[in-house]
Amino acid sequence: MSTTARRLELGRVGETTRRVDAIPKVTGEFAYASDLFAAGMLWGHTVRSPHAHARIVEIDISQALAMAGVHGVLTHTDVPGAKTYGLEFADQPVLAIDRVRYFGEPVALVAAEHPEQARRAAERIQVEYEPLEPVVDPERATEQEPLHEENPTAGHGFRDDQRPNVLRSIAIRHGDPDAEGEVSVSGVYELGMQDQAFLGPESGLAVPDGEGGVDIYVATQWLHVDRDQVAPCLGLEKEQVRIHLSGVGGAFGGREDLSMQVHGALLALHTSRPVKMVYSREESFVGHVHRHPAKIWMEHRATKAGRLVNVRAQILLDGGAYASSSAAVTSNAACFAVGPYSVDNALIECTCVYSNNPPCGAMRGFGAVQSCFAHEAQMDKLATALGIDPVELRLLNALAPGDTLPTGQKVSGSFPAAEVIRRAAELPVPEAEELPRDPIRLPGGAGNTTHGQGVKRGVGFAVGFKNVCYSEGFDDACAARVRLWKGADDELVGEVHCAGAEVGQGVTNVILQVARTELGTENVALAPGSTADVESSGSASASRLTWMAAGAVRLACRDALAEFEAGRSAVDVQRTYHHPRTAPLDPETGQVKGDRVHVAYMCAAMRVVVEVDVELGLTRVVWIGTAQDVGKALNPQAVHGQIEGGTAQGLGLALMEEIQTRDGLITNASFTDYLIPTTLDMPPVEAELIEEEEPDAPYGVKGVGEPPTVVSTAAVVSALRDATGSELARVPVRPDELAGL
Amino acid sequence: MQLLRPESVEAAAAALGNGSVALAGGTDLVPMLRDRLVSAETLVELKEVVPRGVEGTRIGAGTTLAELEVDPEIPAALREACALAASPQLRSMGTIGGNLLQATRCWYWRLDFPCFLHGGSRCHAREGAHREHAIFGNERCASAHPSDPAAALLALGARVRTSRRELGLEELYRLPTEDDRNVTALEPGELILELDVPRPEASVYLKAMDRARWAFPLVGVAAARFADGVRLALAGVAPIPWRLDSETDLDRATPLPGTAYKVELARPLIRRALHSVT
Repeated sequence: MSTTARRLELGRVGETTRRVDAIPKVTGEFAYASDLFAAGMLWGHTVRSPHAHARIVEIDISQALAMAGVHGVLTHTDVPGAKTYGLEFADQPVLAIDRVRYFGEPVALVAAEHPEQARRAAERIQVEYEPLEPVVDPERATEQEPLHEENPTAGHGFRDDQRPNVLRSIAIRHGDPDAEGEVSVSGVYELGMQDQAFLGPESGLAVPDGEGGVDIYVATQWLHVDRDQVAPCLGLEKEQVRIHLSGVGGAFGGREDLSMQVHGALLALHTSRPVKMVYSREESFVGHVHRHPAKIWMEHRATKAGRLVNVRAQILLDGGAYASSSAAVTSNAACFAVGPYSVDNALIECTCVYSNNPPCGAMRGFGAVQSCFAHEAQMDKLATALGIDPVELRLLNALAPGDTLPTGQKVSGSFPAAEVIRRAAELPVPEAEELPRDPIRLPGGAGNTTHGQGVKRGVGFAVGFKNVCYSEGFDDACAARVRLWKGADDELVGEVHCAGAEVGQGVTNVILQVARTELGTENVALAPGSTADVESSGSASASRLTWMAAGAVRLACRDALAEFEAGRSAVDVQRTYHHPRTAPLDPETGQVKGDRVHVAYMCAAMRVVVEVDVELGLTRVVWIGTAQDVGKALNPQAVHGQIEGGTAQGLGLALMEEIQTRDGLITNASFTDYLIPTTLDMPPVEAELIEEEEPDAPYGVKGVGEPPTVVSTAAVVSALRDATGSELARVPVRPDELAGL
Repeated sequence: MQLLRPESVEAAAAALGNGSVALAGGTDLVPMLRDRLVSAETLVELKEVVPRGVEGTRIGAGTTLAELEVDPEIPAALREACALAASPQLRSMGTIGGNLLQATRCWYWRLDFPCFLHGGSRCHAREGAHREHAIFGNERCASAHPSDPAAALLALGARVRTSRRELGLEELYRLPTEDDRNVTALEPGELILELDVPRPEASVYLKAMDRARWAFPLVGVAAARFADGVRLALAGVAPIPWRLDSETDLDRATPLPGTAYKVELARPLIRRALHSVT
């Protein structure tokens, strides 16, 4: 038996390997953070603001404290260390101090024996609010009273913008921004606020260690940055706070910011008991940041032959109440505003404002989604104006290595924009299915609304690109630790430590495949992710973790193996991998102050077929074909999975997903009212992997998490425009936009 | 909170007299209790007292939507409406009686705004976002009735037997007024026991929604053909299920700016429903 087991090939780099978490997740055996349990644990509950903007006059916790089962009630006065935290700027209070700036902002905490006791006690905490006029219109925010007395993002090397409530503004001036073309098209495009809608709500367990420190088991995306924010708030040394990765039920950027980490730890240290917190679904909608809603004006100037001459853009992003990662999203929206096209002149201005709307931050695609929706609508519009085939127009302008981006960065390495366009355009579009057919295969789905009446078909196309890894001079290095020893039968055994968060993207398999490949053995295990065992991996975001973890694990494996082969019987090495260094943008010109602002780029193109019942405004996405520039597919099946999932998320934004607010209050915080696509809404995806290896990356990898999302919203709407002839300048496009066309 | 399990209609009705709340499938009630939209010291479980099952044209109010959607004796419009309501889990629990009394999904009402339906002076939907809201009967309250089966039963001309009386389904519903903000005519302690659903010559339910399945109706159209003509009823267009005599009745709609599309959507949907049954 044992001999057979050892011969089992678990898969090396480039081979499809079955996800180690697949079967446990399907059978329900996988332990998510919400399944955590510790003997004697209490349940924590967060008291949240019912106002989008208010002054806190008084908080009275006496009644809540006296309730049965309650072990602790905490407010901002109980935060022993730093009172504020943040991913990039510490502008968000752990618990509101004298003012709340968004609906759902944490104000107080309760720990009780039973979650219902905690919830009821929370209702007895009396917070006296004095409501203030909320800043809810991002277009007016720069003229209203500042929401933060001192601008939290000032002094970080950004452009000096004195307008109130500017979180970051950026201007990219490239060539002659006044250059004229022979033809010009322009438009204003809008995107609603999208939610990550991960199925596993925020949850975690904080366990006091009895020596003043705390262990936090939590579903998160970046263990070490959590620790680095949590420890100062608790007034503890970093080593006293250990963050351990628990089962993550989806992230998509929404777990980059802290949720329960500080709160749970505060309650645990206060009560000297383990404290578990699990957000309800409604709470989850206010418990994490969202995708920035955007309003984008763009003008494209071109020659009659279709060459882009000048692209001008003004992008407005609503950042909500706190900074989160908005500054980086702002940069992305600006840097990718033109799309993967070569243009000699551009003037791109992007502003992100503070408001009393729900905080926005990281979400899959991270600024590029918004820009892609606008620039691809413009490219279609330009193609129509010029009478050129939209695919031809894109090919004509496709950016290639050696070309210069609007930031002044010269494209180096792999950049197969033309190739993804060609390959996606070559995918054969399926013939229209014959009528009659089952209504489920018609627009309107199960609603049985048509047998073919009113149905028109449309084909759309879109191209997009995005950076992989962090940018603008940030060194988001990744560490890995490898232990080797001789097991039974004198065989090599390896144990890998890497804090890279498995958020469902499949990084566990990638790490194991790399280790097996480098060590030449199947006897490799991956230890649970923890800040206690290994240095930072950086975040599971920016499509970076495959690249970075593969780099770190490969480096550590090679060095460990060398030591082992030199005769050491047991080795334990830790190595840190750095991607090529990037440089910041000049704050006034938006030009890169070095070779590159971004490490590398990923391109994607997508072709979409839709059917629209133009009388009822109901749609069906029939087919999606895509070509994606992935560098090198380490686990091809998982790459296809990411492409399908990422496409679905972009389709959701195109057709139905939008957080609705009224005066800053989220009105549809449930999966009953915030709709995400079902399997019936999502067609099959035919994906071509373009494997053009990235010279600077381990094994030539890039990333795959984001490009499908970047491009699919634009591609789906392009197809809807083709079917309806309508401009459709705002997503989501729902039946009210299309009915009666 | 306590749970009572009465064994007779009389005992249930008596238990309901004092502010306690009736519990059938619980799919609508339990979330509302959790959200404090309904408060109750006592829940009165109806399982033992409300009939369940189908007998001829009569349907026990305790019959689940899942049971109705697969019963070949049930007219097509009602079967289809049941199959299109909610999700399989909810349909396995939710009863047809409870579905008729389902509360609106109006956000303002769900978030406990002091709106007209909650006893306040104005409708917050009229001045705010309201694309899901009403195009008929919406002067004081623009909420939309969410039930698919209710529209089907209305088109089918169903009659309702309660613990106190028998009435047409049309009489069960009423628009909220200054004096009475309820959308049904049920009195305190009155229970829906049974429905009598006439057999049409043909019937259909068509539902336009925001995704392919598992969404509330933007507009649902039920049509049922009887010897003396076709009856039409709509879901999602008024605070209560709404009867129309014909498509031209849509000209009398009073849409809000954000619901005008529902009129455009309802027109072809009604034509298609009529085409399907005639």
